[in-house]
Amino acid sequence: MDPVTIDTTKIKTVKKKPVTALEKLEDTGLISTVLAAREREGLILFSTVDQIFNWARLSSLWPVTSGLACCAIEMMAVAMAHHDIARFGMEIFRASPRQADLMFVAGTVTKRMAPRVKQLYEMMPEPKWVIAVGSCASTGGPYHESYAVLKGVDLIIPVDVYIPGCPPRPEAWLYGVIQLREKIKNEGYGAKWGLNK
Amino acid sequence: MNPAEELKQKLPAAVVSTGMQLNKPMAVIKKEELLNAAKKVKEMGFDHLSVITGTDYNDHFEVVYNFFSYEKKQNLVLKVITDHDNPEVDSLTSLWKGADWLERETYDLVGIKFTGHPNLIRILLPDGWVGHPLRKDYDMNTEQFVTMGEGGEDVVSTDGGNLLRRK
Ligand code: SF4
Repeated sequence: MDPVTIDTTKIKTVKKKPVTALEKLEDTGLISTVLAAREREGLILFSTVDQIFNWARLSSLWPVTSGLACCAIEMMAVAMAHHDIARFGMEIFRASPRQADLMFVAGTVTKRMAPRVKQLYEMMPEPKWVIAVGSCASTGGPYHESYAVLKGVDLIIPVDVYIPGCPPRPEAWLYGVIQLREKIKNEGYGAKWGLNK
Repeated sequence: MNPAEELKQKLPAAVVSTGMQLNKPMAVIKKEELLNAAKKVKEMGFDHLSVITGTDYNDHFEVVYNFFSYEKKQNLVLKVITDHDNPEVDSLTSLWKGADWLERETYDLVGIKFTGHPNLIRILLPDGWVGHPLRKDYDMNTEQFVTMGEGGEDVVSTDGGNLLRRK
């Protein structure tokens, strides 16, 4: 077999409309260090492992189906056609924590529910993320001085993103989701060593 | 004639006073006569016992019963006053089945004991919770936590060690 020579000068820097799958991938900006051998029709791809992993993880976050109070109604609104969380690849609310990698803590965490929420979180496989939605899950909210409500879910499990509001509008949910995607994008050693863009 | 007055006419010995409570006819009943008065109230057509509540007035408790008659479309409120040290009234479960859970809730949160109730245990808070939280003298400074035992049952303690991430 002839050795394949890659002539990098042939790679055009002019930005044109992405057509092939590889070009579309490059265009997302998620994988910045893509070097493709055009001669072989885009079959070779260089990147850091972290970037590929992060890109895969953030593109299909599957939340676990769990709602604790009124905020969960808003979660349903986010999932429905109007706000359509499927645009972020998260429309599949998993009914089992073993298949989920994101937990929306949507609502009031009562003392009696707290150990169950913790167990649900522990049952999720790594990597996993948590979004605390609403003032209840963040601080206890309107029930801050109650005998029966935990003052924030971060007392029992680590939280990545807090969304304030009572309840937060669906747009606020989407903003929170985008913040989490931003966070996942910068996880891992690739980002730490400055290899990611 | 409003139903409270009617009740007073029928049972003058049981009714202490009558009046209005939030536009509903109200009668204050002697504690010993509650079961008799309730029987009469049921005969008068009040087929629905909608709410039972307890109120803490520091020196006494008030147990409030809200009745509704689907037939006459009328409301009636009965009140019973008990002492603060040992709040105890008769259970109405023999007359209205729905009183079961309402009385359990009042027992759970205010600590009123209903004699004759078939299953007077806590309904909202887990067993083992100390105190009745809607009482004025409930201790708000000791925080109680719930954890899960081996079989998934609730375990109440003041130490949230294996629940909380940081103390
Ligand atoms: S934050 Fe507001 S809307 Fe959300 S669960 Fe708490 S009380 Fe309900």
